[in-house]
Order: sequence, then C-alpha cells, then structure tokens
Amino acid sequence: MSERASFARRIDVLAELFAFTTAAFARQGIPLALLADVDLVLEELFTNIVKYSRGKAPVAIEIAAIPEGVEVTLTEPEADRFDVTEAPRVDVTLPAVQRRPGGLGLHLIQRLVDSVQYGYSEGERCSRIVFRKTSEAPSPGAAGRNEDKRC
Amino acid sequence: MLTMEGGGETPVVLSGRLDATQAAAAQSYLDRLHGVVTLDCSNLQYLSSAGLGVFLKTHKRLLGAGGRLRLTAVSRHLQDIFSYSGFDQILEIEPGR
Repeated sequence: MSERASFARRIDVLAELFAFTTAAFARQGIPLALLADVDLVLEELFTNIVKYSRGKAPVAIEIAAIPEGVEVTLTEPEADRFDVTEAPRVDVTLPAVQRRPGGLGLHLIQRLVDSVQYGYSEGERCSRIVFRKTSEAPSPGAAGRNEDKRC
Repeated sequence: MLTMEGGGETPVVLSGRLDATQAAAAQSYLDRLHGVVTLDCSNLQYLSSAGLGVFLKTHKRLLGAGGRLRLTAVSRHLQDIFSYSGFDQILEIEPGR
C-alpha cells in the first residue's frame, strides 16, 4: 500500500504536506516515532525545490510502509539535475561566528535517514529522490544514485 | 503553527513547530531581544534547518553585544537535531526531562 499526493511549489504548502504525512502514517500504521524525522527531510527537500528550482509543475510525494518503517519518494518534474546525495559537506565543527546556515538541511538529511537515492531522467527532465527511514539506527552516509530512472 | 511568548526578564516560551513557514516571524520576535536570551523549548515539537538558522543568526547577534542564546527543556528529538548540526557545541542547551 502506498499513498501519493501532489503539492504546489510554495512554502505555505508545508502545512498541507505535513497533514498528508500525518494521515498517511496513521492509515498505514507507520511508527509515529519516525514522523518528525520524515517531515524534516521532506521539508528540507521541498523547500530546496521551491527556492532553487525553475520548474512550475507540482511536486509529487509518495509514502509507503516498509517493515519497521517507511519509504518516501519525492518526484520533481521540470527539474534540473541536482543530486542531493552529492551536496557539499557542511563543517559542523566551526564556531558560531564562522557558521552559515546554508547547506545544513541537506546535511541533516544524510544524518536522519537510513538511505537516500537520487535519480534523474534527462529525457523527462524529472528528478526522483527515494529515502527510507526505519526504527533501526540510521547509518549516516548511506546515500547513492538511483539507477531506476522512472518518474 | 508556532507561538512565542515572553522575553526580557522571562524565558521565551516556544510552542508548536518552527519550520520554514514560521522562521521569519520567529526571527522578527527574537530580533527585539537583547542580553542573555533563554528559550523554553518544552513545547517545541519540531525544528527544521530554517529554525536552526533563526537560532544561529540570533545567537551571533547576541554574542556580538556580549549576550548569548540559551535553550532549556530540549527534547531528546531536538537534542539529536542540535547534535547532528553541531549546534550542541555552539549553544548552551539544557535537556528536558
């Protein structure tokens, strides 16, 4: 079982997006302890698209229960290639005066999920990000490129 | 939704979710405060990088004037976010119960 919804590329859609994740978790019996992390990862990915992507078409989010957790797929049509798994590392050891907030969201994603994969279809100009989160301890850096190019 | 109350002589109590839609309002609220500013996070349920940015900008401004930002009653989940982002080395963070 999975559930899919599409969202306009506006920051004020976040409340609607969170309502969707909450309802999908409840309907599919996904552990609620994972919800905040999933919301955070989706917010970081979605706001990144809103801020930097030139496309206009809605962004689709699909949520599917897996053993002990959840698999989430974010599909962005009219996308430019931007592999979130290869984002520059953020130095989180710098003192406050040298810290900049930029890039922190993508850094957090790597820490919060069990795995994240990025795929891009040149022909369709479509990007697809799939991440998994389970109740087991995450293994930071479990990122990769998704060879499945379907959008 | 995020609500903020207090400030000045009393801690600022944050309740709800500090996400990208609430960051500007939170920043505006904290920009009015000076000195050592304490945030009571006992009812803060959610924090994204947008909220971390608000805390960082506020802390840096306060540091420049001899103050600082301190957080109290921080939940286990939020402690993880602060740890992953390295903010636990920047901010004074008091865990919640």
